[in-house]
Amino acid sequence: MMQRRLRVLLLVFSLVILQTTIFTHLHVFGAIPDLLLVATVAVAYNEGPQTGALFGFFSGLVLDLFLVSPFGLSAISNSVTGWAIGTFQAGMAFQTRRTQVFLAALGGVIGGTVFMVVGGVVGVAGYLSLYSVQVIVAGSIWDAVVSVPIFMFVHWALMTEHLRRY
Amino acid sequence: MAFVKRNVRWQPILVVLLVAALLLVALDQRGSGPITAVKRVAREVISPVQNGVNSVFNPVRDLFDGVINYGQLRDRNLDLKRKNEVLQGKLLRERAVGSKVGELEKLLDLPTFEDATGVAARVVGGSPSNFERTVSINKGTSSGIQVGQPVVAGAGLVGKVTAVSRTVSTVTLINSSGFGVGVRLENSNEQGIAEGKSGENQMKLSFLTDVKIVVKKGELTFTSATTDAVFPPDIPVARVVSSQKLAGALEPTVILEPVVNLDDLTYVKVLR
Repeated sequence: MMQRRLRVLLLVFSLVILQTTIFTHLHVFGAIPDLLLVATVAVAYNEGPQTGALFGFFSGLVLDLFLVSPFGLSAISNSVTGWAIGTFQAGMAFQTRRTQVFLAALGGVIGGTVFMVVGGVVGVAGYLSLYSVQVIVAGSIWDAVVSVPIFMFVHWALMTEHLRRY
Repeated sequence: MAFVKRNVRWQPILVVLLVAALLLVALDQRGSGPITAVKRVAREVISPVQNGVNSVFNPVRDLFDGVINYGQLRDRNLDLKRKNEVLQGKLLRERAVGSKVGELEKLLDLPTFEDATGVAARVVGGSPSNFERTVSINKGTSSGIQVGQPVVAGAGLVGKVTAVSRTVSTVTLINSSGFGVGVRLENSNEQGIAEGKSGENQMKLSFLTDVKIVVKKGELTFTSATTDAVFPPDIPVARVVSSQKLAGALEPTVILEPVVNLDDLTYVKVLR
């Protein structure tokens, strides 16, 4: 149990470092992947909606520490995404690697939309715009691209078997 | 992919998490001291690792950029050489005028852009989020940088410092949505607010003091000299790209383009 917690901490720390350094240079159509959101999707995929929401909440809070946007906004979007993906995947009869890629893209759309809407509602200027929609779409494609290594990293951290239930 | 029907039960834990997160958002919006302090500590803890990763990654990135964009870089180099020669000539012609302006400024005791001392810093990263336009620089409180200080590059205004730790600061760029700069127009001296447009590099000039003013394409805007202004006066901000008055509109729609290429920042100066 202790080893698993340490691995999850290492997972979050590593992804935050990557998100705030290398990936800040990798904009495509104005978007970069959201590594912690994809990790939340992977956790929800493995552990279900409750753990997905909890992981999303805490990983979102960690990311919020490095953003200018209101503290707690990523926590909201990631926890909703974790819950939604956990619930959605539980209804699937079988899952493949393609499912992971699809869920990562779906998570990107859900997380981005929640972030945009809640940000707009709490008064952050410019969030509710067509450009945000473009960024969400481009970001979700990016999320799908990086999903395979992140799912493997999450499997390692959670000490679950790789690609369960083919 | 096959699906099986299943009753989706609302998770009470999600409600608790959402309420907690909304409370944190509300606290942060009100400028909570503890949240700012936690953010600062987190940035300080993680900044040595970030600096290490950046120092390894940046040369690799520069190498790839150099190889991939070789043709563009060569053309830009030639273009810059040509512009440099033109500017040298212009500088010489304006030297006489400049000395007179300097004398008048001294007489009136006006603070100027050149008076401000600054800290040179290297841009080490962009924004880790898709929804904000910021850059990270490799200087922080240990170099005297504080939240709110203006940031410039060679050609003009870049933004202002919005978060700071001991060795790293975050600069919000002037073309961020919700970011406003008080400016004056080059020819008429009319004042207005240059605001970032969501997701675009361009800005919009609004709240002009004289709505009947004719704004010319290519005209420059400078930070205006107003009381309690965040920015020192006369820093070049943006150039007019287009100006048109739509039927029924009270003021012209003036679109500006920042004079600094905000997508390609390497070094900046934080003014104190």
